[in-house]
This record gives sequence, structure tokens and C-alpha cells, in this order.
Amino acid sequence: MCGGMELKNEVLASATCALCGACLDWCPYIANIEDHLVLRFDCNVSNGRCYSVCPRTFTDWEAISEKYLPDIPRDFAIGPHLKAYKVKAAKGINGQQDGGTVSYLVKTILEDELAETVLLTGTDDQVTPEPFLSSEIDDIQKSAGSRFLASPGMRKIIEAQNNKVQKMAVVGRPCQIQALRKLDYNRPPQKPEVEVLSIGLFCMWSLGWDFKDYLQKQFPEEEVLRLAIPQHGFEVTTDKGVHELPIDTVKKFSRAGCNYCLDMTSELADISVGAFEPQEGWNTVIIRTPKGQQIFNDALTKGYLISEEYPEEELKRLKGASLGKKTRNLNHVQTAFDKGVKPFIDLNSAYYIQLKELAEGMVK
Amino acid sequence: MEWMITTNEPGKTYLMQGNEAISRGALEAGIRFAAAYPGSPSSEILTMLGHVADEMEIYAEWSTNETCALEACLGASFAGIRSLCVMKQNGLLVVGDALHSASLSGVKGGLVLVVADDPSAHSSTNEFDSRHQSRSAAVPMLEPANMQEAKDMVKWGFELSEQLQQLVMVRTVTRINHGRSSVTLGEIPQQKQVPAVIGEWDRLVAINWFKDAQISKLEQAQVIFKESPFNWYNGPENPDMMIVTCGTGWLYSIEAVKALGVKDSVGILKIGTTWPLPEEFIVKHLGRTKKVLVVEEVDPFLEQNIANIIAYHPELNIELTGRHGQKVIPRNGELNPNVVRNALANMTGTTFTGPEVTFIPPEEAVALPPRELTFCAGCPHRASFFLLKQTLRIQEGQGVVMGDIGCYTMGGQRAGHYLFNFLSCMGAGISAAEGLGQLTRFGFDQPVIALAGDSTFFHSCMPALINAKYHNSNMLFVILDNSATAMTGFQPHPGIGLTAMGKTTEPISIAKVVEAIGCPVTVADPFDITGTTEIVYKLLKQPGLKVLILKQECATLAIRKREKAKVWVDQDLCRGDECGCGRFCSRIWGCPGNIWDYEVGKAKIDEVVCVGCGVCVSLCPAGAIKIEGGEAV
Ligand SMILES: Cc1cc2nc3c(=O)[nH]c(=O)nc-3n(C[C@H](O)[C@H](O)[C@H](O)COP(=O)(O)OP(=O)(O)OC[C@H]3O[C@@H](n4cnc5c(N)ncnc54)[C@H](O)[C@@H]3O)c2cc1C
Repeated sequence: MCGGMELKNEVLASATCALCGACLDWCPYIANIEDHLVLRFDCNVSNGRCYSVCPRTFTDWEAISEKYLPDIPRDFAIGPHLKAYKVKAAKGINGQQDGGTVSYLVKTILEDELAETVLLTGTDDQVTPEPFLSSEIDDIQKSAGSRFLASPGMRKIIEAQNNKVQKMAVVGRPCQIQALRKLDYNRPPQKPEVEVLSIGLFCMWSLGWDFKDYLQKQFPEEEVLRLAIPQHGFEVTTDKGVHELPIDTVKKFSRAGCNYCLDMTSELADISVGAFEPQEGWNTVIIRTPKGQQIFNDALTKGYLISEEYPEEELKRLKGASLGKKTRNLNHVQTAFDKGVKPFIDLNSAYYIQLKELAEGMVK
Repeated sequence: MEWMITTNEPGKTYLMQGNEAISRGALEAGIRFAAAYPGSPSSEILTMLGHVADEMEIYAEWSTNETCALEACLGASFAGIRSLCVMKQNGLLVVGDALHSASLSGVKGGLVLVVADDPSAHSSTNEFDSRHQSRSAAVPMLEPANMQEAKDMVKWGFELSEQLQQLVMVRTVTRINHGRSSVTLGEIPQQKQVPAVIGEWDRLVAINWFKDAQISKLEQAQVIFKESPFNWYNGPENPDMMIVTCGTGWLYSIEAVKALGVKDSVGILKIGTTWPLPEEFIVKHLGRTKKVLVVEEVDPFLEQNIANIIAYHPELNIELTGRHGQKVIPRNGELNPNVVRNALANMTGTTFTGPEVTFIPPEEAVALPPRELTFCAGCPHRASFFLLKQTLRIQEGQGVVMGDIGCYTMGGQRAGHYLFNFLSCMGAGISAAEGLGQLTRFGFDQPVIALAGDSTFFHSCMPALINAKYHNSNMLFVILDNSATAMTGFQPHPGIGLTAMGKTTEPISIAKVVEAIGCPVTVADPFDITGTTEIVYKLLKQPGLKVLILKQECATLAIRKREKAKVWVDQDLCRGDECGCGRFCSRIWGCPGNIWDYEVGKAKIDEVVCVGCGVCVSLCPAGAIKIEGGEAV
């Protein structure tokens, strides 16, 4: 039984917070502006949802996978999945990040009424993430393109609940998809079940909001139109032209909390989408559940998406990248545990032991 | 009751509050000018004089600060007009330079300065003893021992002032200002003073050339005080022990002597002219005894001045005791009959056998629920402190909050989530913040916030703001503008547009003053918790000096003006202790209007206390607090 004070001491104080936003707005104690998330007053609730939904409190990965992705072939590197595809939108959407796949999956969901509302992220500018719920197809345009700053989008869940939404879809980063699953997994019996459809994004890290100030300083008087991470670096497209920043410079702005994430491909989602690295304008799509397969098929049938076989060597590279994140971050995770941060993963689980061995093997 | 201070019924006796008696005394002296800055326990004096100003054909003003008040009186005095100046003990320290200077230049028309001390700091942050200032500034001082004396001393003070051409101080304490006793009225002169022409060679100049004159005025006062009817001895010819006392100590002493039945061995020397002391008179009476107990409020001022006299008179052989000598009376805190009785019992080796005076017999005593010192229901300060606290937490930079005196001082306690790191006198918050904000150059990177109220802004923040602006200190100055001097009872200040005499005048805009100094200013509504939190957050991220005005009228004033909205809890929506909020409304937000309904285990609004501000409506996570009707805040 843990509540706000434990969240403060175990997660916020040790800076492992992923800023998924799932703890926000259940209660008046947790406050957020930009990428600060704090307990604004000491809370005396001993059994808090804030704690139970947090991706940085104990998460039983195996049990959760078993519950939401049963009988799906397991993969150590990229999580349980049915199949991977190389995909892009047939027509595309203005401002799309890669292939525009996510936007058209969302369009399909709304058209087919697979969800009453969808959690999206976006704003007028292409840097600041602002989460919103919508059931309007016209709103998809606002969410096109990745905002690499972290944003606590999961706070919107309570809004959906208050509106008595029964079926919703979520587009989120891996931490957010984890929280989404924990939300249902640890749902108190008296709370109504909400049917969710999850589109998980690939994510190596998200950035702190000081990156916004940095951009402003680097490119004063320029309007940023797009941020992208092609293979060669970090690209900032403004109204004055395209600038390139060294990826290591940008990485310095990544949030500390992202160092504790062992999931690059949103392993608990129904369907995961990332860039298709070898070829710009395409996405990698990982189908994980039958539900995910269904919306993907629907979008294909509607002619919204074009898909190709996923190249074997690319799958190997993708798995390598995902394992790279896992093993790199395992160091941070272990150091944190050694320093007394309460383990948020079962240290005796087969998964953790295998990961440790792998990481050690790579060092050797 | 203002009719008591204006009624012309010489010889009539009324039950009067000390502050009424003081106002009355000033009117009996024929004053035409009064100026003050509010401060408990003195505030009622000018409030009353302001109300009767038109009727009595006098001028009365709430000055911007105490220095303005004293200098204003000096100006009127220059034209021969009798003027009364009123302030509390802190005010007297504010006017330190003006007081010492005025004493050097002297006065023309009588000028009496009433200064009200607050032993035990009931409504102050300290119990400074004003009497040191009268000695330091060489100003004669009177100390009334009851309400009658308060009136008579103020009245006589004007005569003395004109006789000496020197200002005269009257030092009171809370129990005199706010206590009540019988006062027999004198006459109010029908003849009104008219201002004298100030001639080409008339002077009021404060310069050291006049030091000799200043000293001689004090010596003259000493001669006059020798015969003063405010000083007397009452007791045996040669008592074993003598109590020397002034002010409220006198009544306590009489009571103690009576209670212990020692009137045949203990005499009481009562002094009303405590500076300069009537030395000859005192020496004469001290000669009667070998043992003295000095009973007085706050510091051993009288005691040590008597020690001084003893030092110059080897013929006296006296064991001197008091707050300092043998510490028979506690060094701090207000006197009361028991303190004095115990001290006297100890010294006389007697014990008190009579019944203890209890005001409520124990069997009838009701256990009062403990109540904390907090902001009123609907007070904008609660919202301001709430949002500042949360912004500092969100900002994660360990902000330092500096402030001073006013209702908002309570922000240092639970009501304001213990926000203050630094609290001092009026104007200190911003001045000190300026210094701290300069340390950025040495790597100090904590956000610095100074808080001040609107009245304090005018009183003492403007020079500090100019200082902070001129030197571009890294800090945020927050003005909590509740359009009131609420702490002391809603006296108008320059931002209000109303004078002490109830006349309308053009209010001075704080925002315009700040802008004129060259600071960009943001005005925000503390009741908009979310919006204003973001504003504060963004301001704290900017370097240099930032000024924010949190504007929302004092709830106690606002509720008199607008129709009250009905706020209630829909207990079907309130999740009670099931809610993750942990009784947020009554426990954390802490407005006295938000209470807990123990019968049903849900939140509730105390409709009597609630003023309908509606802020809690926006804080309830269940949306269970509802608001309806009333005028928008
Ligand atoms: C912080 C972040 C890091 C990423 N890192 C990688 C990576 O390392 N490797 C990789 O292959 N792909 C990464 N991606 C995913 C990639 O940028 C694209 O979002 C993905 O390929 C889908 O492209 P698309 O053209 O289909 O998206 P679009 O059709 O343009 O749709 C974009 C979607 O992203 C959502 N979104 C935008 N910003 C955020 C945000 N801050 N938080 C949550 N959702 C958001 C919008 O709601 C929208 O639905 C990352 C995305 C984010 C937001």
C-alpha cells in the first residue's frame, strides 16, 4: 500500500520519473508545469493510484504481458509480437513525422468507431507537446509530427473517465503504454473497465523542456517547423532552412528519467510504430495483438496505408538497437538500485536475469 | 463611540476606551490637525478623529507612513496649529530620524505624539519599548496609568509642548488603549485655532546649534514635572519597601499590596512623567525606604533611570529590584496582577491566602477547541500562498521567500504552508531580497521572492524597489494587493481612493508606480490558481527584477459589497475518505469555510463562514464543490 509520499520519495526524488503523466489529476497533490512534476503538498493517502500506475514503481512485466498479450510469441529484444511491416500512408498527411502511419491508424479507429476518443499530442508549434483528447478526425492534423519534449499526456485519462468514456485509444510513448496497462491491471474492482486500444511509439528518450530554450537561443527569430532524427543526426527545420545539430548535443537534454527505461518499442502496446531507419518517409510497424492486427488490416483495406514485407536484416538491426537501449539503461537501473532506489522490476525474473547476462556478455 | 469624544458635557463621566479618551483629550486641547499610520493597538484613535473631523472642524489623515505623519504634524505645528500624531511602537522606530530632528528644531503649535506599545506582542511581532526613544531624542514623555490620565495627559501634553516649544510623547500600552474605565470629561473649546503667518525670519531648523536649547527644554520639563499632579506617593511614612511604578503597573501594584495585606509596610510611588524623571521628587521619596521594587511594562526603563539617580545620590541606600535588579519580575512579557503579586509576595516574604480570581469557575469552563491563527474564509492571501508554494515546488529550485508584516505574515504558518524563510519589519522583505538577489554573481541560483502587501508597498517598499531596479537584482517582487490595510482594521491607504475623513480622492495605482520606476509589471488574479501558477513559474524563469501584483480584494471588504454566491458540496459527488484527495479542501486548502462533515464522512461548506469566493470549487478533484449565484469575484 503506497501513496503520494512514496511516489515522491521513490520516483520523484530519485529522478526516475518518465513524465508519462499517469499520476496527474487523480488528486490535487501532484502538480506539473512543463517537465516539472512534483508533489505540491504532502499527501496522506496510503493507497494511491498515482503510485500503482507509475511505470517507475514495481511493474510485473511477465504477469502484465500474460494478461494483455497472451499467447503472443515472445521476443526478448522487441517484445511480444505477431509480425513487423514496413509501412507508409498512401496519401500522407501534412507534417507527418515519418510515414504518417500513426495518423492514418487513428483515422481508421475514429471512422470505424473503435474508440470514442483518442489521446493525441500536438499543438500549433512543432516543439511543444500538448496532450489532448479528441474524437474529431480533423484534429488528427494537429497531432501530426513528433514533439520530442516529454509531456505528461496520460493525465488526460481521468478526463476520459470523468466523461464516462468506455472505449478509448491512446497514442503514447513506451512509458505511457506501460502506465496504461498498469492502470487496468491495478484497477480497483469498483472502477469501471475501459476498453483501450494502444498505439505505442518507438522511443529512445524524450527531451527536457530546457531544449526548447536551447532551440530559441540557437535559432532566434526562427520558427521551428519540424524536428527529426534521421540516421545522421538531429535535424531542425525552420522557416529559414534546415539546421543540423550533433546528436550528442541533443542527447544531453534527454530526461534523466529516460535512463531507467528498458523499452524502446512500446512492448505492451497493441501496435507499435517507429521510423523505418533505412528509408525516410516510411515506418516500422510491429503488430502485437489481434486487435492491433485488425485496425492495421482495416487501414490497409481502406487504402490508407501501403505495406511491404519487413526486411530481415532491418529486423536484426532494430532488435540490436532495442537491445542496445536495454543494456545501456540496465547500467543506470542497477546503479540506481544499488544506491537504494526501490526496484521497479522483479530482480529474480527470467527477463531481468537474461538481460543482466546479456549486458555482461556485451561488456566482455 | 464617537459621540463620547465630541459631546460637550464637562463634568460628565462615561465609560471610555483608552483610545477614545486619547481622542477626547486631543479635542479638549483644541487640536486642528491629526495624522497617523495604523498599527495595533493605536488604530482606533485616528479612525475616530477622521470620522468626527468635519463636525469638529479638524483635519485628519492616514499618512503613508509614520514619518509622513510626524513631519505633517510638524508642518501644521509650524503655523501654530496643535497637532496630534499617533503610531505604534514600530512606527516610532520608523520615525527615528524625524523624531530626533524634530526635537532639535522644536515645535511651535503643540505637538503630542501618542505611541502605543504592545507588551507581549499581542498584535505585533515584537514588544519594543518606545520609551528609549524619548530619552534618546530628548523628548519629554508622559505615561498614563488609566483612561482618565490618558485623556488628561494628552490634553496637558499640548500645553506642555507649547510651553517648552518641544514635542511631547505620550506612551500607552495595549491595556490602556483597548481597556475601558470611567473618564470625566472636560470642556471642548469653541474657539478654533487659526494658522499663524510664518514670517520671513521664522525658523524650524534641525541642526546641532540648537542642542543647548534642546537640553535646556528637557531641564525645564524636569522642573515642571517636580510639581506634576501625575506623580504621587501613597503609603506609610517609612515603608519597609517601596514600589515605584508607572502606567498599568500602578493598578496592579495597588491590587498586589491589598491582596497581600502589606499596606502598612509597602508604599507606592506612582510616576506619570517618565522622561525626564523628576529627580528631586524621586530622591525625596526614595529616602523613605531601603528597598525598591520597580513595576513597569516591557523594559527596565524606569528601573535603570532610577538606578542612575541612585548612582548620583550616595545618601540613598537602596536595594533596587525589578525586571533587571534580582530579576524579580520576568524580563519579557506583559505584566498582570498575578505577576506583580507574586513578585511582591516573594520580596515581602508573604503568601497570598485569598481566593484566586478566576473569571470562569472551573466547573463552568468550556473546553474551547484549539483554533489556529489563519487567514479568513475567502482571503486572497490563502490563494496567493497556495499558488506560490506550489510554484516553488514545481520550479524545484528551492526558492527563498522573504517578507514582512501584515495579515500575510500568517503565511509563515500553516495557513500559508510555512512559506516564509525570512520575516522582518515593514519593507524588509524586498530590501533583503535585493541583497540576496545580487548573489547570483557568486553562484547563488535559488529563486528569490519578496512579498509585501499594498499598504506596505506605499509605506516602505518604494525606495527598496528603486534600489532593486537600479541594481537589477535577480528577484521576483510580489505585491499582495488586497486593497486594504486589513491587519489593523481597514484604514484606507493611497491605493484606495478614500481618506481618513471619508473623502474620495484619486487612488494611486501601484502598477503605474512600478512601471514608472521602470519595472515591467504583471497583474494576476490569485483566485485563478492554475493560470497564476503558470505566470509565476514563467516569471521565475526570467533573469533580473520581476514585479507581480496579485490583485484580489480582501474578502472581509468584498463581501460587504457584493452579493454572496452560494457554495455547497454535492455530497453525492464527494468521495469522502475514499477520494485520493485526503480531505484536501478542509485539510490542505484549509479555508475555515471548508469543513468536514463527520456524520456522513464527506466534505461540507460552513455557510455562515463561507464568503463565496469559489476558489475551492476549482480545487476539488471530484468536482463536488458547487457554486451558484452571487456576483463574479
Ligand atoms: C519523444 C519521442 C521519441 C521518439 N524516438 C524514436 C526513436 O528513437 N526511434 C524511432 O524509430 N521512432 C521514435 N519516435 C517515433 C517517431 O518519431 C514517430 O512518431 C513514429 O515513427 C510515427 O511516425 P508517423 O509519421 O506515423 O507519425 P505521425 O502520423 O506524424 O503521428 C505522430 C503521432 O505522435 C504523437 N506524439 C507526438 N509527440 C508526442 C509525444 N511527445 N508524446 C507522445 N506522443 C506524441 C502524436 O499524437 C501523433 O499521433 C519517437 C517519438 C517521440 C514522440
